[in-house]
Amino acid sequence: MAMIDDLKAIEAQAAKGISGAPTLDDLDRIRVAVTGKKGSLTGVLRSMGAVPPEQRPQVGKFANEVRGRVEEALEARRVELSHAAMQARIAADAVDVTLPGRRPQVGSQHLISQIVEEMEQIFCGMGYRVMDGPQVETTYYNFTALNAPEDHPSRSARDTFYVVDNAPEGKEAHVQGESDVLLRTQTSGVQVHTMEEHEPPIYMICPGTVYRPDTADACHLPQFTQIEGLVVDEGITFGDLKGTLDYFCREMFGSDRATRYRPHFFPFTEPSCEVDVSCGVCGGKGCRFCKGTGWLEILGCGMVDPNVFGFSGIDPEKYSGFAFGIGAERVAALRYDLPDLRMLMTGDMRFLRQF
Amino acid sequence: MRVSYEWLKSMVDLPEDPHDLEREFIRTGTEVEAVEVVGANLDHVVVGQVLEMEHHPTSDHPLWVCKIDVGDNNLGEDGKPKPLQIVCGAQNFKTGDKIVVSLVGAVLPGDVKIKKSKLAGIESCGMNCSERELGLGNEHDGIMILPADAPVGMPFSQYHGDSDVVLDCEITPNRPDCLSMEGMAVETGAILDEDTHIELPAIAHEGLVRTDSMVEVAIADRELCSRYVARVVRNVKIGPSPEWLARRVIAAGSRPINNVVDVTNYVMFLTGQPLHAFDLGKLSERAGKRHIVVRAAADGEHLTTLDGEDRTLTHDMAVITDDGVRPVALAGVMGGLDSEIDGDTVDVLLESACFQSGHISRTSRALNLMSEASIRYERKVDAASCDEVADVAAALFEACCGAEVCRGRVDVYPTPVEAAHVILRPDRARALCGADIPDATMVHYLERLGCVAVLAPEAGEIQVVPPTNRPDLTREADLVEEVLRLWGMGDVTATLPAAKNHAGGLTLEQQRVRLIGSTLRACGLNETLTYGFADEHDLERLGMPEEGRGCAVKIINPLLADQSEMRRSIIPGLLRSVAYNVDHGVEDVALYEVGHVFHGRPTRSQPDEPTYVAGVLAGSWDRDGWNSKHAPLDFFDAKGVIEDLTDALRLTKIRFKPTDPDKYPWLQPGRAAEVFDAGDLLGWVGNIHPASAANFGVECDVVAFELSVEALLRKARRELPYVEVPSLPGVDVDLAIVVDEEVTCEMLMQRIESAGGKLLDSVRLFDVYRDPVRVGPGKKSMAFALTYRAADHTLTSDEVEKAHDKLVKKVCRSTGGEVRG
Repeated sequence: MAMIDDLKAIEAQAAKGISGAPTLDDLDRIRVAVTGKKGSLTGVLRSMGAVPPEQRPQVGKFANEVRGRVEEALEARRVELSHAAMQARIAADAVDVTLPGRRPQVGSQHLISQIVEEMEQIFCGMGYRVMDGPQVETTYYNFTALNAPEDHPSRSARDTFYVVDNAPEGKEAHVQGESDVLLRTQTSGVQVHTMEEHEPPIYMICPGTVYRPDTADACHLPQFTQIEGLVVDEGITFGDLKGTLDYFCREMFGSDRATRYRPHFFPFTEPSCEVDVSCGVCGGKGCRFCKGTGWLEILGCGMVDPNVFGFSGIDPEKYSGFAFGIGAERVAALRYDLPDLRMLMTGDMRFLRQF
Repeated sequence: MRVSYEWLKSMVDLPEDPHDLEREFIRTGTEVEAVEVVGANLDHVVVGQVLEMEHHPTSDHPLWVCKIDVGDNNLGEDGKPKPLQIVCGAQNFKTGDKIVVSLVGAVLPGDVKIKKSKLAGIESCGMNCSERELGLGNEHDGIMILPADAPVGMPFSQYHGDSDVVLDCEITPNRPDCLSMEGMAVETGAILDEDTHIELPAIAHEGLVRTDSMVEVAIADRELCSRYVARVVRNVKIGPSPEWLARRVIAAGSRPINNVVDVTNYVMFLTGQPLHAFDLGKLSERAGKRHIVVRAAADGEHLTTLDGEDRTLTHDMAVITDDGVRPVALAGVMGGLDSEIDGDTVDVLLESACFQSGHISRTSRALNLMSEASIRYERKVDAASCDEVADVAAALFEACCGAEVCRGRVDVYPTPVEAAHVILRPDRARALCGADIPDATMVHYLERLGCVAVLAPEAGEIQVVPPTNRPDLTREADLVEEVLRLWGMGDVTATLPAAKNHAGGLTLEQQRVRLIGSTLRACGLNETLTYGFADEHDLERLGMPEEGRGCAVKIINPLLADQSEMRRSIIPGLLRSVAYNVDHGVEDVALYEVGHVFHGRPTRSQPDEPTYVAGVLAGSWDRDGWNSKHAPLDFFDAKGVIEDLTDALRLTKIRFKPTDPDKYPWLQPGRAAEVFDAGDLLGWVGNIHPASAANFGVECDVVAFELSVEALLRKARRELPYVEVPSLPGVDVDLAIVVDEEVTCEMLMQRIESAGGKLLDSVRLFDVYRDPVRVGPGKKSMAFALTYRAADHTLTSDEVEKAHDKLVKKVCRSTGGEVRG
């Protein structure tokens, strides 16, 4: 039974080699040397012809067992070594994860347009449309149709930028400026355009640039952004105005903020009021930020004045409505406690990229 | 409007705490800007007397070194009162005057702490105070002089009496009535639901001499003046006002001058009716009478007003004249210096008139002259009460100035105002407010506000006659506002509109404008806002021709010369932002703006306001990182941004054509392209010409683009047809082809695509190589990665080879190129 001994010797030697193989390549060499075409074990199996027939089943069975065990050992060692190799690769691949990431350059949206978009989102959610109107407007749409008296101080050249009228004939009398064309001082004129062009129900907001002759300083800009809102429908009440603006203020400033409605005066609404939200810094107790009042003035609003309906050809007996106006810069300044509004207009990358 | 709590309290019962009233004011629409305590916190402030005063020996400024007796408040070593040495710059006092002295240790309003100090080298142990320093008024031209009987050494707060509280209220322009204490009392009574008890002084005795025997009044222009009441009082004794009067005038924000002037101011603060007192003796006399004529001023006419300013008038202004000739007052704004009340005044002509608000407001603005009178006229005074107010003033002249009141008034009142009659439908009011306010409550509120309100239940209406000093109450809506604000806006239940038949949301165009912004941001550009204003030289400076940008929209009253018109391009503003960043050490700039520009039209009032999207790139996307390098931004970065943008908008026929340098002089020739979609020009992209950039202070390379948003949106599509994703493998073949420089990439790609036939799936340029030796002078090698693929079977190498050979031959033939080995 010399062959059995040979097999045992091969197995023993292979086992030793396999367990000691330091790398996958070494292991592969052993595989070739043992079970390869010219391998020692293969050689033994090939010489089965020399075994006496009566011993063949026994030797054959043994040989196959040896082969199975060797292959098993090879596989086990291969798994072991490849796992080790992966571990080694992983270990070598480790990085300092606190190194900065490779960031795609993504731009930022201007603070004011973020605020405008946020407001659009809120009001679109309540079924409003977003309208636009001309920035170079006529006195009719900016003042007269909004019920501003001819002598109203806001019409003066101190409060309104007038532009040269290239076609001055047939206009309203020149009462205040030298021209009937101006840079709109409010987006309220879009109310009139909208009512002229659309039948009620009207649910709209109009964000837009407006201009006033205020020298740019930390708290003023000669150009700023207003968001005008107008609702005209049957049965609109002051309660609806409150419900709408309460919802808006909570969405915009947070659900914990309270609102306060103070009667006020605007020519184009009656009754009119201003809306304050409770100060987010002190929660309404009064602090430096809210000048001790606990409230921050946010917007002006009111029920559409019947005269404005008259100018726009809407029957005030059938319809009622409310209007409001909010300054986006004011909201921005309140939200971020901006020290200087002029930052909004410089295009300073260090400012823009913060938002 | 400064509302003295003490004064208001004399007319209506008030809560103990002024802050309670403040809250009620705010709740009902009277904004309270400040609650000031006057006359309090004046510890260490005492009555003193000037014993001696000498000129400061060395100071260049006119300073006095004074010895001031402050009684027991300063004791010498002997335990006896010792005068204080105080250095003082005021010039309005003399030895013997009683004054107000802040001792060392006093803290005056504004947290001014009084310490021992040296003024121009001389020790000063306190301060002689002005009204303003004491928080009592605005007077700061000199120190406060007290009546001679003021007891030296008495704490000033004790002398001055109880402290008062002033609520500084902002009155909205629709409420002229609230520019008076009477009006504020009625308003307060309505707010607090309290009765008012307003007692007006009455004339005790009218003399025998009739006013109309001394004065005639004519209104030459009825548009300027709707009523003019004159009263004459004689033999006034000019002097300081009684303490109570002076104090109220101070509380109201004015300063006491003399008893006659103070009475006119006091009555104005009380009633809201501006009054003017003329020195009768200074008005010219004809036929034994003074002739007051109200007329329009002549253009260029002059008048020296009470403040000593010479005013040049225009025909839009109204003047009070002496017999129609000499102007003696600027009607409704300020009196003339010539007829001013002074120490020698004996007889006074009192004017209680109603001037037209628009004229007064324009006059006041044109002359930059605002007065307590003009503020009230601007907002309309009540013509109906001119006569009563004149009587109140006359009564006070009698009581405070020892005057004899002439009999009767001269009253020119061509068209008496009629009270408005307004119907309020309670149902309508409830419907508008969304609040269940009972009819009787409405009636009650209106009555509290001084209206006559009668409920006619069968007609479902309240018939209302508002008082004549409420010109803001002429319509039902005005009354609804009164009812709502007294009911309390806070008490109305918040609801949302029960809307039917409407839908909202952004239009497709609006969504696409947002898509433009979000795509540019995804590309790395930051949104900015620049001014809509422009410098008139902006286009010229940039080298941008006016053609296609309309004419300038010129601002008549610009604030700044460089903001004198409206922008016709966004680019100048963006270049300024680049300069701003570079100047502040930020070299990497990537900005865009979506906004309107203004293209004026020579024959139309309003310009076109097209929307453009413009961007600028300078520096790199970012500073180099430890694992990332950033090349300087160039033309192809900007072009790539536009390609992403047009892709996002699903524009499929985008072409870039080199610009004609004559048409685009602000761009660097050879690095600028017009952007087209099919035949439509969308805009341009390119390097700003270095000379143009330098004109905006930009020295670095700037790549910019400007695209018409309208043009982009016109061609934008919601979606493109779906293209099958390949399921079979493709075969990649590289092709390097050497062509003349003139052969553009676009041309070569077109040839390749058309020569590739159906099997050519995609073409990608991956290298451009120039080398005079290896490639040849004037030539370039362009290397493309081609992918061949068939949709229905796996290509064989024979098929690919055949197709590729055909492609190469065709491309070389049509471009004169050669395959690079």
